[in-house]
Amino acid sequence: MDAVTPLVLDGVRFGYGAEPVLDGVSLRLEAGEGVALLGANGAGKTTLTRLAMALRHPQQGSVSTCGRDTARRKPEDLADVTGYLFQHPEAQLFAQTVRGEVAFGPERLRWAAGRVAMAVAAVLDELGLAPHADKHPYDLPTPTRRLVALAAALVASPTLLILDEPTAGLDRNSRVRVARAVTARRRAGTAVLAVTHDFGFAVEVLDRAVVLDRARITHDMGLTDLLGRLPEFPAPPLLELARRLGIEKVRASLDALAPVLTSHPETGTL
Amino acid sequence: MSALDLRLVDFTYPGAPSPALSQCTLCAEAGAVTWLTGALGSGTSTALLVAAGLAPRHTGGLRAGQVRTLGVDPADPSSARDLGGRVALVLPSPVSQLSGIAETVAQEVAFAPANLGWAAGRIHDGVARALDILGISHLADRDPATLSGGEMQRTVLAATLVLAPELWLLDEPASALDAGGRALLHRLLRAEAERGSAVVVASEDADGLAGVADRLVVFDAGRPVLEGSPDAVLRGDPVWEAGAGSTTIAALARAAQVSAPRPLTVEEGVAQWTR
Amino acid sequence: MTLAPGALAARAHPFTPLVLTVCIAVTAVALPGTEAAVAVYAATLLLVIVAGAGRAALRALIPLAPLWFFLLLLHGVLGGGETLTVLGATLSRGGLTLAATQAARLGAIATASLALYASFSPARFVDAVAQRGWSFSLAYVVVATLLALPRFRARAASILEAQRSRGLRLRGSPFNRLRAIGPITFPLVLGALAEVDERGFALETRCASAVERRTALAPPPDRALDRVARWVGIAAALAAVMWRLLA
Repeated sequence: MDAVTPLVLDGVRFGYGAEPVLDGVSLRLEAGEGVALLGANGAGKTTLTRLAMALRHPQQGSVSTCGRDTARRKPEDLADVTGYLFQHPEAQLFAQTVRGEVAFGPERLRWAAGRVAMAVAAVLDELGLAPHADKHPYDLPTPTRRLVALAAALVASPTLLILDEPTAGLDRNSRVRVARAVTARRRAGTAVLAVTHDFGFAVEVLDRAVVLDRARITHDMGLTDLLGRLPEFPAPPLLELARRLGIEKVRASLDALAPVLTSHPETGTL
Repeated sequence: MSALDLRLVDFTYPGAPSPALSQCTLCAEAGAVTWLTGALGSGTSTALLVAAGLAPRHTGGLRAGQVRTLGVDPADPSSARDLGGRVALVLPSPVSQLSGIAETVAQEVAFAPANLGWAAGRIHDGVARALDILGISHLADRDPATLSGGEMQRTVLAATLVLAPELWLLDEPASALDAGGRALLHRLLRAEAERGSAVVVASEDADGLAGVADRLVVFDAGRPVLEGSPDAVLRGDPVWEAGAGSTTIAALARAAQVSAPRPLTVEEGVAQWTR
Repeated sequence: MTLAPGALAARAHPFTPLVLTVCIAVTAVALPGTEAAVAVYAATLLLVIVAGAGRAALRALIPLAPLWFFLLLLHGVLGGGETLTVLGATLSRGGLTLAATQAARLGAIATASLALYASFSPARFVDAVAQRGWSFSLAYVVVATLLALPRFRARAASILEAQRSRGLRLRGSPFNRLRAIGPITFPLVLGALAEVDERGFALETRCASAVERRTALAPPPDRALDRVARWVGIAAALAAVMWRLLA
């Protein structure tokens, strides 16, 4: 990955009508960062993600995605460095097989056939989709189709990954796979921006919280500092437990907390 | 007479290689919240569709065994007419549950009562009350197509509540809702059960339903394999062996080598690990 | 409905614009001769403007302009007989007349249709049908069909966005454009079918399949002006048909 800043919004103003949906919004995401984009209803949050993808252009201010100014660009110009998971991703599937669906992006980017095959196989394995590789996406249950759409967003190892409600409608196992995959990408340097109301998932995978309210950013702080401090953002169970037990240094996820608690057997104390 | 009575029901979707329900026997009583859970493909969603009669009437496929919903077979067209408005089905995705012809949220909520021929005054009062309970009175004149997922799902719930159904069938009803919406939904389900309705909800949200449901039924491979009080079932190992899960804290306890009975809530977790 | 609430077309009984559009179409096609066709088009324009749907008249020019040009070419250039020189071009007189007739007819139909579309309110239409005790299923089919187009367009737009974000290019070689068809049409059609399926479930559980007597929530008033307008329209259409048959 190149050393470009995955996302910079500078004084952005945007609206569909007379009222702005975003006003004076400035935001910066560095490589490997994980940001939860929070706030009431979809309007501002989804709009911000569309601006980042050059699906819309700011009326004032600028948006720079992976070092490219979106003002003169189209979404297809950013496809080689970004991955976007839409809110109803199962609706965009069209290929005859899961493999074909995931290969679509890299093929559009003119990767060599061998490189495409390897990347596709790797991401299908990562998300547990290998057994479904040759099936028709529409023959799969909805949660599995969403995983296919996520695989398509991850396959080209994007510099910036944008997720819109990534865990909605997923069963437990799929949620675990998504969390692990996104965490692994962050470690590899991908910046992640996720619109989500699943705070358990957010705490597991992300670190920073940006709250949009009435077209402006009202909070930009550590995620665990925000959750549980405001009534609209309650702390998820693992975070609350970790706080009550005084385990603040560790991420409030199952994978991180279990070993800490195991090393102190039930009859012992922390 | 149980509100819902499935006996040794088999159901296979058209073209499916294996049955979705296999010798499934399930009962749900009025005045109680019955919670169905299980891994993806275990049959909980299908059980609800069979209970509503939509399987096989709308889905096609083959059904064997006996199904009685409020005493009648919901797949029988003449009985289905009797059930109109008395059985409600709520699905996870709100967009496809809208009528498509309402210009305002109030009209959407009035859709079913109008179809049933209720008097205009009764509809008006019922709609106002349902919107109030779901906290969306301020959205009454909004175009349903412009709502967020959470607001849309609340609209669908209001549209169902207005009918005061005797049997509620809900499939992951909270998936589009935020924390406030989920809490509201759970209060609503308890209130409906207290009012005398039978509430059957299929969900993997153990954190939310553990304190709401009266009875938990765990499905595996198309049939119930485990039942009991949520408290008892969620603390043990069999629920995990069946491929379903438990609350977040119980899952953590299990990963931390704590043996059954495991803590379910944060309070119990704190007690568990600060002894 | 995209009209201002005070507009005549918005306040009209839902059946009025529907009946008038059909009558205008029948009249425009039945009456012979260029003068009659132009008169019908002019009358339609006047009616649409008075009803408050003037913008629909303008919007109709978008599909009409290329059609009119095509008619001009087809009949004006390729028609035979006596010729006329217009702006240096030699055109067939008979052909121009024919082109004008057809252009005026299409103009009337397109303008009336777009005005109908702009003034259509699904809820009021369903209420009007319920008020008369007619079949709800039929009303639902009419409404769902009219609303299908905007929904389809919205769905196509969001699929297009998703595919472009993955690198689909629309500009460039014809080959490029051809390749873009699959990734857009398949999810569009499959998604629309799946939605129809799921909506079928929802309608069933919302008691829409066996409606006996639906309650009209806000029955639209059927004023004298509405009834007169509809009868005048029907009379005009019938007269036009008679004229055509007898002349």
